[in-house]
Amino acid sequence: MHNKKEWASGYLFILPSLILLIILVFYPLFMTFIYSFYDMSLVSNRYLGWEAYQKLFQNPKLYLIFKNSLTWTILVVFFQCLLGLGSALILQQTFVGNAFLRGLVILPWVMPGVIAGMAWRLIYDPHLGLLNHYLQILGIVDRPLTWLSSPNMALYAVIFTAIWKGFPFSTIMYLAGLQGVPSELYEAAEIDGANEVKQFFHITIPSMKPIITVTLLLTFIWTFNYFELVYVMTGGGPAESSHIFPTYIYDLAFKRFRFGDASRFAVVDFLFLLIFSLFYVRTTFKSEENL
Amino acid sequence: MIKRQKTGKIITYLFALLLAIFVCFPLIVMISMSLKAPDEQFTYPPHLIPQHPTLNNYFQVFGQGSMFAKYFSNSLLVASVSTLIVLGVAIFSSYGYARMNFPGKNFLFILLLLSQLFPLAAIIVPLYRIMGNLKLIDTYLSLIISYLAFSVPVGVWLLRSFFLGVPQELEEAALIDGCTRFQAFWKIVIPLVRPGMGATAAYVFFLTWQEFMFALTFINSESKRTLPVGIFDFVGQYETNWGNLMAASILVCIPVFVIFFFIQKQLVAGLTEGAVKG
Repeated sequence: MHNKKEWASGYLFILPSLILLIILVFYPLFMTFIYSFYDMSLVSNRYLGWEAYQKLFQNPKLYLIFKNSLTWTILVVFFQCLLGLGSALILQQTFVGNAFLRGLVILPWVMPGVIAGMAWRLIYDPHLGLLNHYLQILGIVDRPLTWLSSPNMALYAVIFTAIWKGFPFSTIMYLAGLQGVPSELYEAAEIDGANEVKQFFHITIPSMKPIITVTLLLTFIWTFNYFELVYVMTGGGPAESSHIFPTYIYDLAFKRFRFGDASRFAVVDFLFLLIFSLFYVRTTFKSEENL
Repeated sequence: MIKRQKTGKIITYLFALLLAIFVCFPLIVMISMSLKAPDEQFTYPPHLIPQHPTLNNYFQVFGQGSMFAKYFSNSLLVASVSTLIVLGVAIFSSYGYARMNFPGKNFLFILLLLSQLFPLAAIIVPLYRIMGNLKLIDTYLSLIISYLAFSVPVGVWLLRSFFLGVPQELEEAALIDGCTRFQAFWKIVIPLVRPGMGATAAYVFFLTWQEFMFALTFINSESKRTLPVGIFDFVGQYETNWGNLMAASILVCIPVFVIFFFIQKQLVAGLTEGAVKG
């Protein structure tokens, strides 16, 4: 009896968020799945069934977008992790201005994505941008490069910006993680004569494994679905060379009004992330059990 | 030994300096451009330090014919209302997930986390249709409602980690003293998580303040635009007015920078706790 009452109040507490979630997230997601079986645009609304997916998998665009999305996500996540760890190690040292630098480092992450995109468009600009100017002074390039309007560079230029924009999140997480490493471990290692490099790989990294695991997964999902930077900086161009899933889905839906195609790309995006996350969580849990 | 420590210090300062430059360079470029007069904005080669700094761009952003103030108040309205609703919903739900027992709790919480797995672009077509059917296209309400889709899960997840940080004994003591469950929650626990609520509210405000895709899609009329779309619109069909654009951008950044300065500690605690405890 007592239990039932507690259950009821539990459901009552979570009900508002559950209702919102169903109406605003799961119902639309379900509709996207339904739309994905249709040839749907402003002028047609025809049921295709699995044929729709057969067509999708014959579409070379799918493989291009997939390749771009993976390149984008893997490079951004990898370098954010590296920079995050590096900057956390620096900020953990004592030096004058440490608190100030900690406040400063978080700014790129806090800055609205659209603004970060615009600022970097200015930096990359062939005429107004300082990047080309400095590279020329240093003698690295002999004429201004059109970073954002060359098909073989545009995606990488945005990747660099995304690394800059997002790495402070990793810094914050790793800095918190570093503070959780028991100092006795280092003291013991010091007595055993282990140098700092050894301490880093045998104490710091293993103790921080849980937080690194979670941070990698979070940044992977966020980066894979990050819309603003690519949209604002290149719009997926030039010649659609820098499109990733979210920007391409948006383009299909609201520039070309091909709602069916957009839904199919969205379904692939979602299923990929779902399978990836399940796989990731399972393997990391397994390896933890084996320890 | 002392010498080794000294080189270690120098290396630390060197890396700290490099980190500061990497982080700040784009910010300095923004400030520099915002202080340049039109003729200097387009000189080649560009210089980082403005030769004749002027605040004219800032005055123009607020000046006649500029929509900036309107965009700013639109953003303020949409972000504040969204934040209030999220907070009202999340206080109860996060407490439910953190403290109460009921069948299916873990499953429902996993559903909540699953909602973070797909891009918002994946639900924008159905949402657009829903808004269309409800005659909500081109209203602030369409933005407020659609913002709940991503900010409610985040708010619940974040606030839950703050509730988990409150010792359970406090509520048990209150129950023994004759409080009802709700009284214990309302009078004992809520005051203790007030800093966490502040951090959650600030984070939700920050997410909705900068939201771009829904704002780009659901709003047609210029007078209802929010800041991110308004800023993006500065890239005119003719020539981008970079001075005005950067001045406006800096003005948009200031509120979020200030908010983060005050809540940083709380938010970091919530994010790390929340991430590690699922």
